Formats: sequence, C-alpha cells, structure tokens
Amino acid sequence: MRNIEAIIRSVEKLPPFPVAVQRAMEILDDTDASVSELISVIKYDQAITANVLKLCNSAYYGLRRKVHSLRDGLVLLGNDELKDIILAGTVVEFFQQENKGYELAMGELWRHAIATAIISKIISDNVLDSENHSVFTAALLHDIGKVVLGSFVEQYFEQMFSLVFEKECSFTEAETEILGINHAEVGGKIAELWLFPEDIVQAIRLHHDPGKASDDDHVTPIVYLANIITLSMGIGVGCYGLSCRGRQEIMKRYRLRAKDLERMMVTFYDKYHAIQDIFKLN
Amino acid sequence: MNIVTVGIADMKVSNDPSEVLVTHSLGSCIGVAVYDPVVRAGGLLHFMLPESELDHGKAKAKPLMFADTGIPLLFKSCYKLGAVKSRMIVKVAGGSQIMDQSSVFNIGKRNYAALRKMFWRNNVLIDAEDVGGTVNRTMRLSIATGELSLKVSGKGNRIL
Repeated sequence: MRNIEAIIRSVEKLPPFPVAVQRAMEILDDTDASVSELISVIKYDQAITANVLKLCNSAYYGLRRKVHSLRDGLVLLGNDELKDIILAGTVVEFFQQENKGYELAMGELWRHAIATAIISKIISDNVLDSENHSVFTAALLHDIGKVVLGSFVEQYFEQMFSLVFEKECSFTEAETEILGINHAEVGGKIAELWLFPEDIVQAIRLHHDPGKASDDDHVTPIVYLANIITLSMGIGVGCYGLSCRGRQEIMKRYRLRAKDLERMMVTFYDKYHAIQDIFKLN
Repeated sequence: MNIVTVGIADMKVSNDPSEVLVTHSLGSCIGVAVYDPVVRAGGLLHFMLPESELDHGKAKAKPLMFADTGIPLLFKSCYKLGAVKSRMIVKVAGGSQIMDQSSVFNIGKRNYAALRKMFWRNNVLIDAEDVGGTVNRTMRLSIATGELSLKVSGKGNRIL
C-alpha cells in the first residue's frame, strides 16, 4: 500500500496541464472559434507555439502552403485538427524522456503515443459512422501513466517479470499485483487532474480492460485496439512486450477479423514516413 | 563498426565487414537473417505481414512488407553479393503476439506460418530461431562474423 501512496504523490507532483492550452482547446470546441482569442491565450507559450507550427507543417498533414502562424493553422487545418496538434505539441515533453522502468529509450514512448493516436483515427474511420473527436486525445494520452509508474516498475522489475513469464500475467496485471495500481489507472488519475473530459479519462483508465466500458463508449475500445496494433508493430514497446490481453469481444463488437487489423497496419504504414518529423518533435 | 538500421517492412544486405545490420523492436513482425560464411555476405529482412494477397498493389510497391514477397527478395539480393543458397545460414526471430485464447489477434503466428510455408516450398532450413511468446526482440547481424545476437525484452541478450 505504501507504493500506492508514493505513486499518487508522484502523480500530484507532475507539472499541471497548462491552463492556456486547456482554454485554447475549449475555444476550438466552438465552431465559431475566435482566432484572436485563441492567439491571445496561447501566444505566450513559445515552446508550444513552435511545436504547433512544426506539427502543422509536418508531411502528415500534407499542406501545400506553409503554416507561419496559429491563424494560418486554424484556417488551413480547421478546429479539430488544430486541437489535436496543440495537444500533441503540449504533451510531447512528458513523453519524450527516457523511461528506464519500461526499457523505453528517449523518444520511444512518444512514438508509441503518436502512432497509437494515428492508428486510432484509422480504426474510427473504419468502424464508426461519424468522427469521435475524443479518440485521438485519449489514444495520444493512453500511456501517460507510464511516465509516473516507470521508476516504480524499475524497482520491482524482477518480481514483475517472474509474474509475466511464470504465471502468464499480463504486464498490467503484474503492475496491479506488485504495485497495487497499474499504468492505465495512474494515467486516468493524471487525466482527471489535468481536467480532461470524463470519456477521455475513462478510455485511458480502461484501455487494457475495455469490457468494463459502457455500451455507448466507443473511445475505450478503439484506443484498446489501436494500442494492440501499435504494440504488434513493435512501436514503443520496451520491456512491456506484447503481454496484454486479447479481448475478442471488442473484435466481435465491430465485426473485425485479423485481416482487418492487417489492412489497418498497411494503412498506417502508408503514413509512417510522413510522421517521422512528428516523432522527432521535442 | 557501422550500424545499419533495418526499419519496418525493410531489408539491408551487405558484404562490408565493418557493418552490423540491426533491426529493433520486432513485435508480431519477423526478422529473417541470412549469411553465407564463405563470401561473408548476408542480409536482414523485417517483414510485417504474412501474405501479399491482402493488398496486391501494396505488395508491388512495398514487397518487403509481406513474408511471401519479402523473403524471395532477401535471398535474391544476397545472391547478387555472391551468396549461395546451400551455404546460407538462416536465423529467424519475432512473431510475438498478445495473450489471446481465441486467436483473433494472431498476426505473429500467421507471420511465422507464412514464413515456414515459403521455406518449405523452397527447401530452406532454419538453423536457429526464437519466435512466439509475448516478448519484444532486437536482432543484430555482424557481417564480419555472421554472428547473430538477439535481445529479448525482460530476458537480456544472447547469441542465436
């Protein structure tokens, strides 16, 4: 139990999510978003603004014109894309660091986050009738708990691996068994503290246990599947490996077969080169 | 020593003894390392999916993505460096998958089955392999010696 308390203290010690960014995202939720208001809340954070411009100009978005300002970004990409970009440009600093506990070299957790977010969009396009905008955000943040839990995993590494290899536990189950809390639950707490909406908090918390999500929740199962695909492709896997549970019921729910996942991997691979510059963001 | 990285759906062949071919993070993908000790040439392929019939257009543009189009390309590229099939040492790693009783997520197993089918049809024997499970693997092939070192998540390094 002492571990849980220490873990919760580490969560509380994380830097807060920038209020200006939270405000910018609220502004963008409004279709009549005022550009000048958006600029006024975000312009003082130069690191974020610089990242936002780099992201807008990434090959992934394929714009013909170069984006020089937030105003250009909003006009050329629209509210929803710009919201994703501002979020990515803000959280990148949390993900880029090396994570020894999970054996993730510098940048690997970020690659995993971005790849999962992009794959989650591919899945949404395939299984949902209309776009669900929480999917990208939840997918991008799904492993934020690893940022905090890494140092605890490092301390109990051998015990966790003996559970994974000898008792056939999933890595998440081993976290719960040894630390009393897993990275998904820790991530949920971080998202709550950062004042993200409930559907996003829930998807982060349940991304290994999507059966617990409510029937009308599409965010959790899609983030679950996107994570499975990203791990299968070996992107930002680390010591976690592929030791997570296959949830057949999620495949059934969306009438998906293994070949459908393979096709989504091909679609993602097509974008893979275009997102290399996003991977390098810092 | 020059590290040459092999990405996803990618391949490198070499007869330069200063080079070490490396492919990181094989999840359900499979890495195939081949080496001819006489001419000291070898190659490393990192394929992603089993069968090119999934998407013929893609297979044409990116044959290294699939087992059935990537493996022949690996062998042919090594022949160009003087490698001879009967002398080639073949080592395989990867093909992990998530923990799944129902086999709906069995991309790793299907990748391995496709590889075995290719090898069986073409009379290729596997000299060493480390496949399956839920681990994450990295392969390193030394062109100078043909030594293949394998890093398995949670289990450390070993020579395959």
